[in-house]
Amino acid sequence: MKKLIFLILVLTIVTAGATFAGGQQDSDKEVVLKWPCIWVGEDSKANAVASLVEQFNADNAGSINVVIEAQPDYDGYEQKIRTSIAAGIVPDIFTMKLNPTTKAYYESDLLMDFSTELGMDWGKDFNEGTVAQATVDGMVKSLPYEVAITPVWYNMDLLKKAGVSAYPKTYKEFMDTAAKLKAAGIIPTSQMTGGSNAWTSMLWYSHFLASAGGKDVYNNLFEGDAYVKAAEVLLAMYSDGNTSRDAVGGDAGVSGGHYLAEESAMFINGPWYIGRVRGDAPEVYAATEVGPAPAAGNNSGAQIGFLQTNFAAAANSDDPAKAAAAVKFIKWMTKAENVAEISKQAGSLFAVKYDASTIDDPLQKKFIEASNNAAFTIPHLAGVVPADVVSEFGQALGKMALGEATPAEFVEMLKKVNNQ
Amino acid sequence: MKTILNILKWIILIFFIFVALYPLIWLLLASFKSSNLELQQNSFGLPEKWMFINYYNAMLKAKLTSLFFHSIIVATFAVLLNLIVASMTSFVISRENFKGKAIVFTVIVAGILIPIISFMVPYFSIIQKLKLYDSLLALILVYCTINIPISVFLLTSFMESIPIELEEAATIDGASFIQRFTKVILPLSQTGLATAGTFCFIYSWNEFIMALLLTSSESSRTLQLGIRFFTSQFVTDYTAMYAAIVITIIPSIVVYFIFQNRIISGLTAGAVKG
Repeated sequence: MKKLIFLILVLTIVTAGATFAGGQQDSDKEVVLKWPCIWVGEDSKANAVASLVEQFNADNAGSINVVIEAQPDYDGYEQKIRTSIAAGIVPDIFTMKLNPTTKAYYESDLLMDFSTELGMDWGKDFNEGTVAQATVDGMVKSLPYEVAITPVWYNMDLLKKAGVSAYPKTYKEFMDTAAKLKAAGIIPTSQMTGGSNAWTSMLWYSHFLASAGGKDVYNNLFEGDAYVKAAEVLLAMYSDGNTSRDAVGGDAGVSGGHYLAEESAMFINGPWYIGRVRGDAPEVYAATEVGPAPAAGNNSGAQIGFLQTNFAAAANSDDPAKAAAAVKFIKWMTKAENVAEISKQAGSLFAVKYDASTIDDPLQKKFIEASNNAAFTIPHLAGVVPADVVSEFGQALGKMALGEATPAEFVEMLKKVNNQ
Repeated sequence: MKTILNILKWIILIFFIFVALYPLIWLLLASFKSSNLELQQNSFGLPEKWMFINYYNAMLKAKLTSLFFHSIIVATFAVLLNLIVASMTSFVISRENFKGKAIVFTVIVAGILIPIISFMVPYFSIIQKLKLYDSLLALILVYCTINIPISVFLLTSFMESIPIELEEAATIDGASFIQRFTKVILPLSQTGLATAGTFCFIYSWNEFIMALLLTSSESSRTLQLGIRFFTSQFVTDYTAMYAAIVITIIPSIVVYFIFQNRIISGLTAGAVKG
């Protein structure tokens, strides 16, 4: 009997091996491109992207098939891409944020260099300067796609309800506004220390850095008074009820959730959030205006602007058909009319030239206006420092917000990690 | 004095019960709330309206039914494979004398101390080379392997506590090396096997990062990946996600309740061995 059980057990495992081993399959005829994609599930670009991929596959039936591998968890997605590249295996197509850490990918031969293709007519499709931002040592191993500015979103209805008639332009005006909002039971700002990069608060800090240090503030990272000054202002945002109680440890869902729920009056995020606000909180959407952060230093009217997402592809130097298919697909995704469609549905802005007159979303137009009216634009802090500093930012901010570190110590913590 | 100590004991016990159970109760209540908004405004209270539909949405949106099936397959086969390998290893280590036995045991068990994250790149490379990427078998093999150190540790301790005389009697009766393992030691190690198996099952059921790394398509996605479908880079549907989490933790709780007596006795086996 026991022999029989043992035999059954062994047979079951062998059968399981045969049944569940359906991993990678190679096809001789069709080029299959796998795309681990973050624009799925709840993402505002999900439907538009899925529809474009479907259309591309239909147009190229039998020769190219793009398979979306849904990766809704962004932090996990970044981890997966990092691990894949460390193991010397690159997804056929993927997207990434270009920063000092990901720029290191350019040094390997694993990624496709688009510079030759861009040198032909394709390069003309991109807005001026965007390709240059993605160029390292003459190589363009990631293609600028989604761009963003991240102004302050403010709910004018809530400001009016608190007796404030105009958005605050200076730090003093901001503190007066915050006091009135609190008296009316409204949280002045949305903040967060959680997530992989404390996104919302990192953007507030970047705004204050621009104001305190000007457009060259990143020339000497964590040196000079601007970093401490900006940290003092950020600390003020976390003090005296100027943000929600759950901001320490909260993630993007928390900071965005308070704004969507009309609990907080000011918030920062990029244009890709427009689709979400429009769908889930139409009153908030209608009342939202955007502008630069209140000036915390000598400079005012600055905006935070950056390449949000770049396309990349495996070099596939041993498989020219696959490489060509990847280029064909990315060209499809960067076609003006396709980009316009994603922009229209999700509210996102792109590095590709497209007919912006088709944009009928008032909030999206305000973003474009804010971008055009910016006194100057700098990237956000997470875009100019290594990944370790980005991770440290939320930790250090949490400590400062809980009173365990001064603004100077907060900056020192970041500086220490940056110098390692 | 005795009464005061008794009251103090109960206060401490109730405090720890509260700390242990509160997150679960909170999760359960949150899973019935109507929206993220209610969750934020009424974070600790009862739902205004009990939204059973969250569970339906969770099942539908993240396709939890098929993911549930995948998780069951992965966890079950990972446990079976793990127990086969670990029990054979433990038998040799605990019952046989050979040179370097202590070193072999230490090297295997040291795996418990190594953070899983450090295995990510090597496992990814191996699975890619075996052409098993995006398959359930990849997860079965990896989960089985990751749990071998803890299983060997538990089973070796357990098998060492079985009297040598039983094995000697079997040898006199003509039992071979394999028969001593299959007819004497293995049947007497059921408690240890249940303990090791439960640990392996719970790990395989809850694991996320390897599943994310080694799979990509719906055909090999597990429950823990399905839960993430309620989040995106900037948006999270918390109530549906909490409903999905409640659904996913039920099997772990069931497995633990079924085997809890064996787990406890398995963990303490060998602890009083003289």
